[in-house]
Amino acid sequence: MLTNVSEYFRPQTVEEAYELMQNDKEHSIFLSGGTIVALMKSSRIEKVIDLKSLRLDTVSVTEDEIVVGATTTVESFRKDPVIRKKFGEFFYEAFSLVGSWQIRNMATIGGSIAPKLGWSDVSTCLLVTGSSLIIYGVDGYQRMLISDYFSLPAGEKPLITHVILKRDGWFSAFEKFSKTTFDVATVNAGLSIRPEQGRIKAARVVCGSRPQYPARFESVESAMVDLEINEVMPSIVRSLVYESFVGGSNMTASFEYRKHLALVLAQRAAEKLKGMIE
Amino acid sequence: MRIAFTVNGRLHGLEIEPGEYLLEVLRRIGYKSVRRSCGSASCGTCTVLLNGKPILSCSTFAASVDGQNIETVEGMADGDKLHPIQEAILEEGAAQCGYCIPAVVMTGEALLRENPDPTDEDIRLALNGNLCRCTGYEAQNRAIKKAAGVMRGETDE
Repeated sequence: MLTNVSEYFRPQTVEEAYELMQNDKEHSIFLSGGTIVALMKSSRIEKVIDLKSLRLDTVSVTEDEIVVGATTTVESFRKDPVIRKKFGEFFYEAFSLVGSWQIRNMATIGGSIAPKLGWSDVSTCLLVTGSSLIIYGVDGYQRMLISDYFSLPAGEKPLITHVILKRDGWFSAFEKFSKTTFDVATVNAGLSIRPEQGRIKAARVVCGSRPQYPARFESVESAMVDLEINEVMPSIVRSLVYESFVGGSNMTASFEYRKHLALVLAQRAAEKLKGMIE
Repeated sequence: MRIAFTVNGRLHGLEIEPGEYLLEVLRRIGYKSVRRSCGSASCGTCTVLLNGKPILSCSTFAASVDGQNIETVEGMADGDKLHPIQEAILEEGAAQCGYCIPAVVMTGEALLRENPDPTDEDIRLALNGNLCRCTGYEAQNRAIKKAAGVMRGETDE
């Protein structure tokens, strides 16, 4: 039990939820799937704001985008027919590596991004697919890149309401290394490329659990442009990641170990992409 | 605060603390098959079905299940007649100390409702969040496979 929790709110609107947070930011927390909040064991938390009552758990399609409600669970997302139609097996397979079945039934898409967790596989996959967020904050609703959301000051606590996905001819692959099948990643890596006439027209390269939160490696991305998509390409990607890897050490792994894992994972992801495009 | 939810079809209305977990509340009202172990969403022994989907009761706020449906292993048997998954676990020797078994049964039940004819890989993936320190999992996987056949009516009970 979180012993200091004295109030549990079920707001009916996004605005109400945000106001509740603003009333006492220091002692309040948004609850989405609950897998993070319930495990925080923090005596600081006195007010829980349950976002499930906002019914932000649907997946809808506009003319050129997929709009995913932030409280959609990871498992519902990976199995959603619209997502599978637009992204093939990418999210279905990548998100099968997120936690256990039980955790995926609880964890939500928005809740996986909001706490800015270094090891979030969800964040890595959404970054590498070029997804963006709709948040509700001091300026009302706002569209924002995930990387910009990660850069917000810690004191700002906007509410993520939706995740916006596009595909636009990109191919994506994800690889993860963890100590057990449902443990958090020691390192994860995502790779997306947009091919054109057998060459890479554009690329996205993301590493997470470095242990900092997932980030794009833009120097690798620009170096990949115009590379021919052939059997040599994966080993070039491996070398590029080796040269540009930025990370650190913690109790899970050293910087050197992570760097080595990252280049292996990037190479495997590149090999997957080559197989998809050929 | 006051909440109401059903457990195995039976309605419960009760007072809870706002910070209480579902695991604590279920055990308090008598559903002792729901096991407390890691308390950190790691072992799966506290698994129950929430609206038909397996979740971890050790990290679910009780307040969040207000108005929802919970299923535990207490609701699986039909009087003295065990559920096919329970029967198969006995037949395959899939339980030793038995501590993890209620959760394995519930995860298996959720899997078979969603996928009545799972492959060995499907079963392994579904059960990968249910830790068992006794059996090495092979017998549990066989039991789920066997129960699936029984539930499809392909083999004798």
